[in-house]
Amino acid sequence: MKTETRARIVKIIQERDCARPIELVKMLGISPQAIHRHLRILVASGILEPRGRGPMRRYFLAGAPQLSAVLSWYASIASPAETPGEVVCETRDVFTARLGRLRSFARMGLKEDDLPLAISVAGEVGNNSFDHNLGNWRDVPGCWFETQATGGRLWICVADRGQGVFRSLTRADPTIPDEQAALVAAFERTLSGRAPENRGNGLKFVRNIVVASEGRGLACRSGVGLVEYGRLGGVCREELSRFPAEPAGTVTLILWSLK
Amino acid sequence: MRIRLKQYGEILTSRPAGREAALAMKARLRPAAGEPIELDFDGVLSVGPSWLDEVLGALRAEYGRERVICLPTKNLSVIESLRVIDSGR
Repeated sequence: MKTETRARIVKIIQERDCARPIELVKMLGISPQAIHRHLRILVASGILEPRGRGPMRRYFLAGAPQLSAVLSWYASIASPAETPGEVVCETRDVFTARLGRLRSFARMGLKEDDLPLAISVAGEVGNNSFDHNLGNWRDVPGCWFETQATGGRLWICVADRGQGVFRSLTRADPTIPDEQAALVAAFERTLSGRAPENRGNGLKFVRNIVVASEGRGLACRSGVGLVEYGRLGGVCREELSRFPAEPAGTVTLILWSLK
Repeated sequence: MRIRLKQYGEILTSRPAGREAALAMKARLRPAAGEPIELDFDGVLSVGPSWLDEVLGALRAEYGRERVICLPTKNLSVIESLRVIDSGR
């Protein structure tokens, strides 16, 4: 019975991203003391992690990023009801300025040598959103840019409500058969959706950096296409498997181990 | 002739910003005949290949590939950007 209750707690947190003890008390109809006892056991087992203090303390799946907000924004068929200005960068200038926020992860264990690489990797991915969709967004202009540290890892999420990689790249190469092939081409071939401009090396750089160290990974979804690179790419892929194929924007999740 | 890139920002990313920087550089540069153009990355936090490709492409087209020199740096974003740019040319 106790194991069953703990499984229900984990399921609730999986579905909601996080929960406060008082919310679990109401949802499960058991005493606060029992809830706290289960939470202590789940934290000690490495399944959950608490964040915050006092009544605002919330419990999360250990090591998992909170992606429910970006998922809701990305997956909305109609224009999203909410576009939070603190994470959505409407212009390239705003995005570039916010790249500097990655500095704060140096205090959380991002290695000194890795900081310039993490910034340039995030920068190339985000700038790609603007390069391929400027003047052609489906509804909301700009990209979602969010960073989180959890489970000893830095998570960087960049998403857009643009045209998707397939529509962009088939302008340069009409022989690309589908969305999966388009994503592979984007990361592995020097090919630009802005042909005849001499472009197309940004995502190759991103892939090179991600595969160069065991503590990194990346997954990218655009439509039904989904690719992963790096040792931790499978972890990112699992997270992005929750993102729908329609509508076809692009979402990239980058993972970087902290010291 | 040395160009201190930190004058263009600590984080150098995107093609439009690289193109703008290259135009500003070319407007100011008055190198003597044969004088090398040295790019100094000291004080720059991060460089992306898109930005650097625009700057190198413009300067190399104007002054010749041999005259444009990237000064040595330990910044891995510069080293890796140069690697991908030069492998694509």
